[in-house]
Amino acid sequence: MAKPKLALYWAASCGGCEITVVDIEEKILDVADFFDIVFWPCVMDFKYSDVEAMEDDEIDITLFNGSIRTSENEYMAKLLRDKSKILIAFGSCAHEGCIPGLSNFYDKQSTFDYVYNESPSLEDESKNVFPQTETEMPEGKIEIPEFYDTVKTLDQTVDVNYYIPGCPPQSFQVIAVIEAVIDILTTGKPLPPKGAVLGATDKTCCDECPRERKEKKIKEFFRPHEIIPKEDECLLDQGILCLGPATRGGCSALCVQANIPCRGCYGAPANVKDQGAKMVSALSSVIDASTPEEVRKIMDKIADPLGTFYRFSLAASTFRRVQ
Amino acid sequence: MNNDRKIGVYVCHCGVNISQTVRVDEVAEALKSNPNVVVSKSYKFMCSDPGQKMIQDDIKAQGLNRIVVAACSPHMHELTFRDACERAGLNRYLFQMSNIREHCAWVHEDIDKATLKAHALVNAAVHRVEHQEELSTMKAKIHPDTLIVGSGIAGIQAALEIAESGNNVYLVEKESTIGGQMAKFDKTFPTLDCSACILTPKMVSVSHKKNIKMMTMSEVEDVSGYIGNFKAKIRTRARFVTDKCTSCGECSDVCPVNVPNWFDEFTQDRHSIHKAFPQAVPNTYVIDRQEKPPCIEACPIRQEAAGYVALIREGRFHEAAQLIHQRNPLAVVCGRVCYHPCESECNRGHVDKPLAIQQLKRFALDWEIEHNGKFEVPKIETKRYEKVAVIGSGPSGLTCAHDLAMKGYKVTVYEQHSIPGGMLAIGIPEYRLPKKLLAMEINYFKAMGIDIRTNMKLGYDITINGLFQSGFIAIFLAVGAQDSLKIGIPGESAKGIIGGVDFLRKVNIGIQQELGKSVAVIGGGNTAIDAARTALRMGSKKVTILYRRTKNEMPASPEEIADAEAEGVNISFLTAPTEVLVDDNSKVKGLKCIRMKLGEPDSSGRRRPVPVTSSEHDLEFSTVIVAVSQAPNLVGLNGDSGVNLKTTKWNTIQANPETLQTNDERIFAGGDLVLGPSTIIASMGQGRRAAESIDKYINNQPLENYSTHIVKSDVLRGESFRPHTYAPTYKETPKKEREEVPKIDAKGRVINFEEVEIGFTEEQAVNEASRCLNCGVCVECHECERVCEPNAIDYNMQDKVTEVDVGQIIVATGYDLFDASKLVPFGYGRLKNVYNSLEFERILSSTGPTGGRVLLENGQEPRAVGIIHCVGSRDSNFHKYCSRVCCMYSMKFAHLVKDRTKAEVYQFYIDIRAYGKGYEEFYSRILDEGVNVIRGKVAEVVERKAGEGDKFLAVKCEDTLIGKFREIPVDMVILCNALQPNKATDKLAKILSLSKSPDGFLLEKHPKLDPFSTVSDGIYLAGCAQGPKDIPDTVSQASGAAARALSIISKGEVDIDPIRAFIDENYCAGCRICNNLCPYGAIDFLDEEKLSVVNEALCKGCGTCVAACPAGAITGMGFSDAQIYAELEGILEV
Amino acid sequence: METEKKAIEKEQSTTRKSTSPEKFEPKIVAFMCNWCSYSGADLAGVSRVQSSPNVRIIRTMCSGRVDPSFIVRAFQLGADGVLVAGCHFGDCHYIEGNFKTMRRVKMMKMVLDHFGIDEKRLRLEWISASEAEKYAQVSFEFTETLKELGPLKLRNN
Repeated sequence: MAKPKLALYWAASCGGCEITVVDIEEKILDVADFFDIVFWPCVMDFKYSDVEAMEDDEIDITLFNGSIRTSENEYMAKLLRDKSKILIAFGSCAHEGCIPGLSNFYDKQSTFDYVYNESPSLEDESKNVFPQTETEMPEGKIEIPEFYDTVKTLDQTVDVNYYIPGCPPQSFQVIAVIEAVIDILTTGKPLPPKGAVLGATDKTCCDECPRERKEKKIKEFFRPHEIIPKEDECLLDQGILCLGPATRGGCSALCVQANIPCRGCYGAPANVKDQGAKMVSALSSVIDASTPEEVRKIMDKIADPLGTFYRFSLAASTFRRVQ
Repeated sequence: MNNDRKIGVYVCHCGVNISQTVRVDEVAEALKSNPNVVVSKSYKFMCSDPGQKMIQDDIKAQGLNRIVVAACSPHMHELTFRDACERAGLNRYLFQMSNIREHCAWVHEDIDKATLKAHALVNAAVHRVEHQEELSTMKAKIHPDTLIVGSGIAGIQAALEIAESGNNVYLVEKESTIGGQMAKFDKTFPTLDCSACILTPKMVSVSHKKNIKMMTMSEVEDVSGYIGNFKAKIRTRARFVTDKCTSCGECSDVCPVNVPNWFDEFTQDRHSIHKAFPQAVPNTYVIDRQEKPPCIEACPIRQEAAGYVALIREGRFHEAAQLIHQRNPLAVVCGRVCYHPCESECNRGHVDKPLAIQQLKRFALDWEIEHNGKFEVPKIETKRYEKVAVIGSGPSGLTCAHDLAMKGYKVTVYEQHSIPGGMLAIGIPEYRLPKKLLAMEINYFKAMGIDIRTNMKLGYDITINGLFQSGFIAIFLAVGAQDSLKIGIPGESAKGIIGGVDFLRKVNIGIQQELGKSVAVIGGGNTAIDAARTALRMGSKKVTILYRRTKNEMPASPEEIADAEAEGVNISFLTAPTEVLVDDNSKVKGLKCIRMKLGEPDSSGRRRPVPVTSSEHDLEFSTVIVAVSQAPNLVGLNGDSGVNLKTTKWNTIQANPETLQTNDERIFAGGDLVLGPSTIIASMGQGRRAAESIDKYINNQPLENYSTHIVKSDVLRGESFRPHTYAPTYKETPKKEREEVPKIDAKGRVINFEEVEIGFTEEQAVNEASRCLNCGVCVECHECERVCEPNAIDYNMQDKVTEVDVGQIIVATGYDLFDASKLVPFGYGRLKNVYNSLEFERILSSTGPTGGRVLLENGQEPRAVGIIHCVGSRDSNFHKYCSRVCCMYSMKFAHLVKDRTKAEVYQFYIDIRAYGKGYEEFYSRILDEGVNVIRGKVAEVVERKAGEGDKFLAVKCEDTLIGKFREIPVDMVILCNALQPNKATDKLAKILSLSKSPDGFLLEKHPKLDPFSTVSDGIYLAGCAQGPKDIPDTVSQASGAAARALSIISKGEVDIDPIRAFIDENYCAGCRICNNLCPYGAIDFLDEEKLSVVNEALCKGCGTCVAACPAGAITGMGFSDAQIYAELEGILEV
Repeated sequence: METEKKAIEKEQSTTRKSTSPEKFEPKIVAFMCNWCSYSGADLAGVSRVQSSPNVRIIRTMCSGRVDPSFIVRAFQLGADGVLVAGCHFGDCHYIEGNFKTMRRVKMMKMVLDHFGIDEKRLRLEWISASEAEKYAQVSFEFTETLKELGPLKLRNN
């Protein structure tokens, strides 16, 4: 029988997710050997037309990383959706918007103004030159994709079967998923329910965190450079804003083990709709304040609250963007 | 979307209550669009039987598995419909109620908007119910005991009802007697039967019921738990009278203190030890002891100053003297030379000058000596064979000896000098403490059987070891500090230089002194002053005190300094000697001195004197007395082998300040020997403490829980305090001159050693004593103790806190009277003969101030009496509500006034409300008795004069019936004050987390259907705590509340909604965010599993932890996230 | 994700519905604690104290149950304002639930502010079971405030 067809694509992303795939080391050989890789622009030479030429549902699995920033991202998302049986949002960008999603603090206009006008790195002559979707040149018409106002997640654009969270997803989790998939495809086991989050746990990051936790009463927040956190004590207990409690587990708590607070890249926990709001609810419950003024005092120690509570999930949040 | 849902929606018209503003059919119709809604109808009365039946039938016929009823508030009928569902076999929690009456129909006029909103609300319920799941009710066992707070007629009635059924009741009352306000009434309307006659039998049967635990003087401090399982913490204030009390009243007769009686609304006085009223229950007296008088607390031997002062005020000098002497074996001495810390702490000092306590003490004792000779030597019951030696016969030694002798020990006192008394004998000059008086005191000790041996010097005539060998079992070492310290300047050993104490001793034991014409005394303490004044009396013409600081720093007592200066002693301040000038035969001829100025304060806080450069000058003196300070002489101890007591750097003995035990467990030490140069009273305090220690030591008891007193520094109390709750503040207290004690004039006294102070006259004494403020009411004169045959008085009684388990609680805290002085124009508190209703009840009562006669302040009968209705009630400025009882009791007042006087009676009313059984009849009966009723609110009450000394009150009002402004002359005005929530109610409402209605009374569950329950299961209301009521209503409500409690008790257990938090261990990662959120500590953390778990029994289902859980691992049963999200979708969809 | 989409469509449709400038009727969701505020609203009903029909009440046992996620969700679903009401300090049926509420709402107001949503759209009030008038007054005030602020249009494009 023919090998199952696998496609990988990157939309608005940093490429870290691609690296993760390579990070699975010799496991890549099993992949190459089990799958027929039909599309992977980052690694092999394919043309969009090759994909366009395919039958619907011809591709068995597509690992789609990156968020939807431009018309091109959107076009490819829709295209790959049509051509794939299973579309997997791979990595935080596709899953929740991730860092690109933070540009939802602004809109197209203000972004362009900065990048093509205010940015200090600009030569004067190149200022105020804004990208056009179409440009007539002697050689003919040049088209570039349209830049959207708001960054969207993959599932805000097309229907998604599964999610693999993380910025980037941890390679050991990628391996686990690949093995699971291979197993399913060979033995014909049933697929996980649609919308399932793969390569992660149902508990929060705290579950994998080795630090000792106490009952919480936070008097003041510190930024990591302000204090030297104790190695074995819960960072939050020490006043370092760690998103672990409101973040899905599965990364084996890498950051906290490096004495860095969790920033929430694995996204909202299983039963949580809005990661940031939930973190607000949790924190406000344990801060030591009995008046609104005291609350403000404590909050003022949090630089960029939104960027902190929604660092990876702003695009996927209830409000999606700053209004 | 859950597709297996079959939802039935029922929209209620509630007659027209809902349907008049909400198009109910339209709403019912609109809901049909939801695919899961199988049935959607509207009906006139959903709560009616047919309404409920409709639901049940549909459930059965159409297999409905979710029900929504849109009607009134869930607080009203949620249970009704849940039961209906259950009857049809549907789990009661698959029902959701939508409140479209209270929250919609009743509060909106715009029919379109109301209908739209109703649709939204019902839609919300439908979305929500889709996500509701089967739950099973939890059972709570019911503890059969009931707590009743408040023991007025309501509390009493409820208690009796419950006790009757054989169940236990805790009846908590904050006052000293049960009975509440009703006990204060004379007669009750409309039947005019005597209040006491119908109430007291009930009070008595409360006290007889075995299963009613009466807790008077008690207040509920804290309540935890839930229906069936409450824990209540109750604080009971000390009564100071045990239940041995036979209520004979002897104690009250001898009590010297009078304060206004709260029970009589302060219309008459009572004593400190009192019974609120003759029929009080429990029939036990109580001592009003609010705090301990500071004068007593300040005294190292806890001499009851306030006590004897009060007795002196009452002219009971003998008792005063007895009281003093019981506690103080050296009373006469103290009466003259005590340092009197009691006066420094006297609260009167905040008003004008402290009381002359010491002089009063001296007066009482002098009076006693004058009238009864000496003091009775007490009979000592117990005789003990153990021998105790006391070394030193000063104040501490003698006090210790006295106390030990009282305990029956054989005590021997050793004194090194030829006369006993220590410093009292050798240190204090005759003119301050006559020898014969000291001798009298000493004889008293001897008469007690104390063996006092003089000329026995430690280390010479006796040794510690020797004493132990000769059978003494313990020793109290109190040899004092009698060595005069030297200044340490050149020439100090010259002839003509003598230590202050040595000088005084010589004079006291009669050794001639050659002083010459000019004497210098160096030092600033009392010894220096004594020495100087003595020197004058020895004939020296010129006596100069040299002191290196200024008068302010002088440690000697101001009176002494003043006296000295009056006698011609000249004090040269800021002067310090640097060298003694001597003549050829090394006899002093003068002092080289240097001037000083004050520098920085030293450790003692006094400013340190520093020399002024090149200010040396020479002064001529024939004698120099050095009285800078004294230190103990420990030479006597050195001889003793095996005895080496630890000492301090000041050469004093080291003794444990609590026990006064030295490092040798058999030896105790006190007085100046331990304290260094100190005061008589401080030394006596140590003697007393030592005696108790020695007694404990001999009986092998641990040296702890002492009964003797150690002065705490926190005795001091600021100006903000009142002496006691019924007393005016210090500011308001009228000033009164302090009596000055007469003295022999300065010229006359320096020629001899006659006592200078003559002492108070009886008149002066009584006068001075009457300045006492009675701090803390009880003055501890122990008179009650003395006369109480059953020995029921216990001054050491403590407040105690009891914890009781109860299943249910009835709140019957009653009401307070509105403070009429807030209505200034009516003159209450300002004008004579204006009374509030309760005061007048007391005036009417046979146990009241006038024995039931209606009299004016001047004792005459009133010619006319005005009764003003609605004082503070039906008044938007104070209380909007009607107090319900005033109209009727004012009629009662009118009748009784007519009945007991010839006075005309005028009623000033707004409306007469005679709604009760027999009330209208009563009203018309009073009218027939010829009472004048004037319809109109009173504007003002003013005082008018009708010729010489004839004052009367004019009541100004508008007579709205004849439309005229009138002014009615009366002699007495009675105000019908509003009933308002009791002060205690607020506190209790917080403790029990009960809600209050806008009028401030406690909120009932439903004004009509459930007037005696609260929204908190297991807590009920009775009487005026819930709102103003007359006695019949109160009694009925109390019985109702009791019945409600009993029905639950007999069920034995109740269902409680399983509204609880639940933690799913599949999602909890043990972040511990939730751990300290729960006010009931219902969340535990399992270290092993790294999980948090909810203790179902403790959880009350508030859901705070649910909201907080960042992992979404906690589910709020009945209020889950899914349910609330769905409700949101539904409510905003429309 | 299905419901998500539906929600947004609803939200957009409803805002459209309510944007007719002349008479805009704000939608207000009020979370009220069972013991004080909800009963206060009941009392308003019993004593017929008129209140704003724009307020739609959701009952929770304690205001401490109100999760900021509910608040953002309410706005997303088309609420123009959210009222959270609980017992006065010291009166909380659960002793101190309302303190957490105060902290949550205060913090959420600040977050809303960062989101560019006027924090006046979120309101916290302590309403006791006896304060029918207060509830009525708050409901009208809040409705007015929101009429001034106009409809909340969320940009999702």
